[in-house]
Amino acid sequence: MPPLAPDLIHVRFFAVLREQAGTSTIELSTAAATPAELYAELQTSHRLTFRAELLKVAVNERYVPMDSPLHAGDQVVFIPPVAGG
Amino acid sequence: MFELTDHPIDSAALRARLTRPDAGACVVFEGWVRNHHLGQPVRELHYEAFDVMAKLEGNSIIAEIEQRFPGCAVFCVHRTGALCVGELAVWIGVASAHRAVAFQACRHAIEEIKRRLPIWKKEFHPDGASEWVNCSAEAMARGPQPTDYYARQAGLPEIGEAGQEKLAQARVLIVGVGGLGCPAALYLAGAGVGQLTMVDSGKVELSNLHRQILFTTDDLGTSKADAAVAALRARNPFVQFEAVNAEFTAQNARALVAGRTVVLDCTDNFATRFVLHDACFSAGVPLVQAAVHRFEGTLDVFHRGGGGGCLHCLRQNRGIAELDTAAGNCAGGAVFGPAVGVLGTMQAGEALKILVGQTDAGSFRKTHLINLLDCSLLSVTREADPGCPVCGELDAMMPAVLSSEATGGSVTLDTEQMIALENVRTVALLAPGEQLDSARAAAGTLTAAIGDLARLRELIREEGNIILTCRHGIRSAALARLLRTEGCGTVYASAIGSPAIVSKSD
Repeated sequence: MPPLAPDLIHVRFFAVLREQAGTSTIELSTAAATPAELYAELQTSHRLTFRAELLKVAVNERYVPMDSPLHAGDQVVFIPPVAGG
Repeated sequence: MFELTDHPIDSAALRARLTRPDAGACVVFEGWVRNHHLGQPVRELHYEAFDVMAKLEGNSIIAEIEQRFPGCAVFCVHRTGALCVGELAVWIGVASAHRAVAFQACRHAIEEIKRRLPIWKKEFHPDGASEWVNCSAEAMARGPQPTDYYARQAGLPEIGEAGQEKLAQARVLIVGVGGLGCPAALYLAGAGVGQLTMVDSGKVELSNLHRQILFTTDDLGTSKADAAVAALRARNPFVQFEAVNAEFTAQNARALVAGRTVVLDCTDNFATRFVLHDACFSAGVPLVQAAVHRFEGTLDVFHRGGGGGCLHCLRQNRGIAELDTAAGNCAGGAVFGPAVGVLGTMQAGEALKILVGQTDAGSFRKTHLINLLDCSLLSVTREADPGCPVCGELDAMMPAVLSSEATGGSVTLDTEQMIALENVRTVALLAPGEQLDSARAAAGTLTAAIGDLARLRELIREEGNIILTCRHGIRSAALARLLRTEGCGTVYASAIGSPAIVSKSD
């Protein structure tokens, strides 16, 4: 896997969000300062209807609050609740 | 019905007795005397039964089968006395509406008869020699041996003989016998856990079979827990299996979780997941949880004191109904078979590592996200939320609570026990941000802040019996135990969380 571009945010979608976005991963340049702002931006650009307050977000392989700071080069995963079995 | 006879068995007459208008199938098993056994020629056999015990045991086997396979009529006749080669030793007939159940019930009947009936046989060899053999002891001696069964597993240095012994001591609970529960159970049974209990209230349906790999078309319409146990027992006779044909609820949660070494959450909805999590967390039993959405799934191990917080930290007290609606993938949802296969198998792996002591600092503080579409696995570190109303405060209290576990005496009451208790006052324990919805609370319910032990001690002095309740039923049980150690013999806790305690923001 090539090294991640340091000036972009690397986003991974999981489960329902992956289906809505139509892709597992995207990279983008953004002015969003937090995962909450980033998700709001993606809701518009990728037609994501899932409510932000039910999501978990991981930045650089660690769960963080939606209002924590975001930096260029970060890997962000949006994780909706999953319950099937 | 079960009979012993010292006369030749008349199979035609027995078959006629089974005839009934609602039966569409009849399966008959005949056990014959053969002319060789364990490489030795045999001329004749003498069967001897411990008469009263054999009849009692035989009838209870038949009753169990007729209960397990409703609608089946079962007859069994076993011979005693002298039999020549070719003679009928045992006859079992099953009549039922459909063939699948008749085959299953008949197979089950002969296996149980061979295993449990107190009958001995004396073999006469052509050279005049003879010997007595206990049928069930013989079956055990002739069958596979545990050391042979586990040889290729105990050879792993991480497991070895010591690990194998730990597995043999383990009592494991699997809740949910579906896409996750089937593969998880197969590997746990294969690994040789001592006891394996399967809980599910459902019946096998055709749409289960593409992913629920313990079941076959023969099992359609039968209990999932029973069918799973039958399939597992056939794979490993050294494990003690138990089938619980019931829904897992707040009422039976504590009893089912009590005494387990590890528990697997293989359910398909948040409502059950929270009940199971809370019961495990309260009892200090590690919980291996997996959940799947189509091609993807998550794997978490929750363990009190493991550093990774609890399910409430992760879900931040969102409403359960809200989560289930959002997950939107319960009954009827489409799912990629290998996704539940991989996740259920990983659950077994995590459980086995816990049982043999192969965990590390990260074991109880990760969510693993698996995607079978791009074969990716991502691990995310979980941390306990210091403000978590469930584990945050409980962890701080835990040293005192744990030291009080040994004092004994049941402090948690179920609904019936609470109704039976007289001269009682209910006290709702409120965490910051919670309030009591008095319309839903028992009349006269008092409130106390969760950490306000001084007020609780005062209430205990002033009132008669005190029942503590809290939102999830965990803190109330912990506090009740703590107060018991201080000599407060009249304090109890509700076995289930109180729906009357709500978040102020709801």
